[in-house]
Amino acid sequence: MITSPWQQELKKCVKCGACMAVCPIYRQTGREEMVARGKLNLIERLDDNNELPPGWVEAVDYCLLCCSCEENCPKGVKITEIIANARHRQTEQLGLNPIKKSAFTLLKNRFFSLPKFLKIGFWIQWLLWRRLPRHSGLVRRLPLPGLDDKTVIPALPRQHLDDFLKKRQAAPDLKPVLYFPGCATRYLYPQMGLDLLYVLERLGFQGVVPKELNCCGMVTWGAGDQKSNKELKQRNLEIFRKHSDIKEIVTGCASCGHALKEYEDLPEGCEILDISEFLFRHREKLEEMVGTDRLEKKITYHDPCHLRKGQGITSQPRWLLKLIAGENFVEMRHPERCCGAGGTFGISHKEISRKILAEKTHDTDATGAEIVTSGCPGCLLQLTEGALLTDSKWQTKHPISLLADLLRKGKR
Amino acid sequence: MTGPVNLIRNQFVEELKNSGFTARQIVVADESRACYGYDATRQSADPLLVLLPENREQVESAMRLAAKRKLKIFPRGAASGMSGGSIPSNDGIILSLTRMKRILEIDQENMIATVEPGVVTGELQEEVSRLGLFYPPDPASLAFSTIGGNVAENAGGPRAVKYGVTANYVMGLEAVLINGETIRCGNKCIKSVSGYDLTSLLVGSEGTLAVITKILLKLLAAPETVKTTLLAFSSMTTAAHAINAMFKNQIAPSTIEFLDHHSINAVRDELPFSLPQKADTVLLVEIDGTTTSVLSQSQKLKELFKDDALLLIEAQNESEREQLWTARRRLSPAIANLAPHKINEDIAVPRAAIPTVITRLEKLAKKIALPIVCFGHAGDGNIHVNVMLDKDDPDQAQRGHRAIDEIFTITLELGGTLSGEHGIGNTKSAYFDKEWNPPTIATMRAIKQAFDPDNLLNPGKIFPDPEI
Repeated sequence: MITSPWQQELKKCVKCGACMAVCPIYRQTGREEMVARGKLNLIERLDDNNELPPGWVEAVDYCLLCCSCEENCPKGVKITEIIANARHRQTEQLGLNPIKKSAFTLLKNRFFSLPKFLKIGFWIQWLLWRRLPRHSGLVRRLPLPGLDDKTVIPALPRQHLDDFLKKRQAAPDLKPVLYFPGCATRYLYPQMGLDLLYVLERLGFQGVVPKELNCCGMVTWGAGDQKSNKELKQRNLEIFRKHSDIKEIVTGCASCGHALKEYEDLPEGCEILDISEFLFRHREKLEEMVGTDRLEKKITYHDPCHLRKGQGITSQPRWLLKLIAGENFVEMRHPERCCGAGGTFGISHKEISRKILAEKTHDTDATGAEIVTSGCPGCLLQLTEGALLTDSKWQTKHPISLLADLLRKGKR
Repeated sequence: MTGPVNLIRNQFVEELKNSGFTARQIVVADESRACYGYDATRQSADPLLVLLPENREQVESAMRLAAKRKLKIFPRGAASGMSGGSIPSNDGIILSLTRMKRILEIDQENMIATVEPGVVTGELQEEVSRLGLFYPPDPASLAFSTIGGNVAENAGGPRAVKYGVTANYVMGLEAVLINGETIRCGNKCIKSVSGYDLTSLLVGSEGTLAVITKILLKLLAAPETVKTTLLAFSSMTTAAHAINAMFKNQIAPSTIEFLDHHSINAVRDELPFSLPQKADTVLLVEIDGTTTSVLSQSQKLKELFKDDALLLIEAQNESEREQLWTARRRLSPAIANLAPHKINEDIAVPRAAIPTVITRLEKLAKKIALPIVCFGHAGDGNIHVNVMLDKDDPDQAQRGHRAIDEIFTITLELGGTLSGEHGIGNTKSAYFDKEWNPPTIATMRAIKQAFDPDNLLNPGKIFPDPEI
């Protein structure tokens, strides 16, 4: 019996094939069961009592949740919602992948928590991986199972964003905004978070970062772990409610922003904003602050899927990059195409992820840019791997870091 | 699946492997086969086997081996068809040509592209446009449908009024016959009268005669610019006169799309501009070409209709052009809100008959008490007729069915045809003998027999009776 809303949603697909034009996985495999209408066809065919055949599991697994099909769907079918629910069904029947299960336990555990685990990880990394020249990532020193010598993992910092924030003084005359850094910024790229807070401060805002904030839940949602997802959401909502006098919640992570905007019970009048949206609101002041300073390096931009397709944000980051680099900002061909990271997809499906990445790297190379920017830590990590795979010279940066550098330089 | 069928399939798979097919090119798994049996008509049948050949030689082997065992072959492109042209039978083999997707040559001197059938139409257009060239046919599905499918269905599009349909661009073909032999027809010559024109015969044959493996396509020089104008009229008749006036005054629009008053009402609230309440028909006109010619033609257009048109908006830039097109693009989802289901036909009539068709369809809508929404390509007489209904209500379903019957009667009475661009497939085959008399159908059958004596190639399509 088809009963739940997402199963009803399946019926809206008319199999027109529009998803074939944009699906990065179909582009590489050319296989119908790997594109949205094929997956939806398979999901629709099974009723609740069927056992899940291996082909079904594989098809549902082969999805980046990049939302490309959803953005292009003439019927507006909520495809990623369907995939996430199908994955939920899969975990109910077959159990959650043990690695993901332990990772999510860490995400939720308040005592032996993710940051503690990652701090130990720092020392393990120091032994087994080496730092990349020019980049912020690491590659292995010795052979390790499942990772080849071009696999870039993020360099775990000794100090997390939270450690830096402990030393920070609150400025009483600044208007508070809530800053949701997200796990990647907190534990992997703390400098990105500091850069964002610096820009906010220069604009007259105090970024409030409650240290009890949890993972946004995106990764658990994508894995079909609805129980963990709900728990994480509830905890974050509690914190938002505690700070409900602050109406604007900003984030510099495309995936967190996408996830937070989907929360159903945000406090009254509370708004989630990507940092580019927030800055665009204050463009007059920012433009005045930057003045005629421009970054003298050629830069380009990759649209994070969860920003462009998940939140419909395309013009604000481009405005920002033009402000930073002026004429030095150039578009790549197909900036909207997924980089192939897709959360943990890049690790679990390396071969196909790398094929998708190769096209992105090619398009980036063709611009001749020295820096490729993107408003998503996941994309930045994947692009770093892309540069390494092709021996490309470009660096990867979040636009906010470029802006912070420019403002710091202007102050000197 | 029964034992013997399984056995036949296993033996056939062995033969394919011996003739050079790799395991990845042969799809046997249930879940994978299940995704190669549908198209945009929402019909579905799981084929016995799916083959993903990558070159002509493999297509030849597959067909030779299948014909020996009397197995049915169903060629398939992107399966975005609207008439069931690629729907298989459960005992048939899907020959998916999506892996044969190389652009073999773009001959800039002769302005001809040579491509494999699996090339996506939009990707070819993008490639040739980088060289300043132009492949005009523009079916709505161009971003994902394949050239092979476009040729097999003789796909059209909004630009047909000026540039014609796919058939007007196919210079030559290479195709594999059911016995595994390959024929070649046409060439790069503009003038070519050596023997029967098999190219024209294969274009639009819906995969029932041969499997196309290579296509020569005529290219044009890309137009310098395009100008979009939206016009509103108080009736379909005045709009039709306006269209005629354009042609008589040597205005050559590349596109003339129309929306009837049901369509207008469905999208009115979503438009970024306001439409006069009296507007009954909206035309969306595009003129392309050199900058000077576009300028003088659109000047003439404005002068011609300054009195008759209730509204005339000319797009001044790309974003205004997009705004005008929203009227047309929002249409499908907007009319979907009118009823749970729709029956969509793509009849075509001689251009001058459009007002009569619309009037008669309005009467029909009243008679059967179901809304009928019309829009489409006014310049070439191709009308998308949508009967809006709830198929779960048996009474409405029956009335809808009767409506289709009458729509075809009206169309044929006015000198029209069952399908302008979707093809007959299996959704309109029951009406085929309404359009053509017995000797005509017998001639078509004789052609089918000559190509495919055992009726193994895409059976069940075009002809009213599946067993010829």
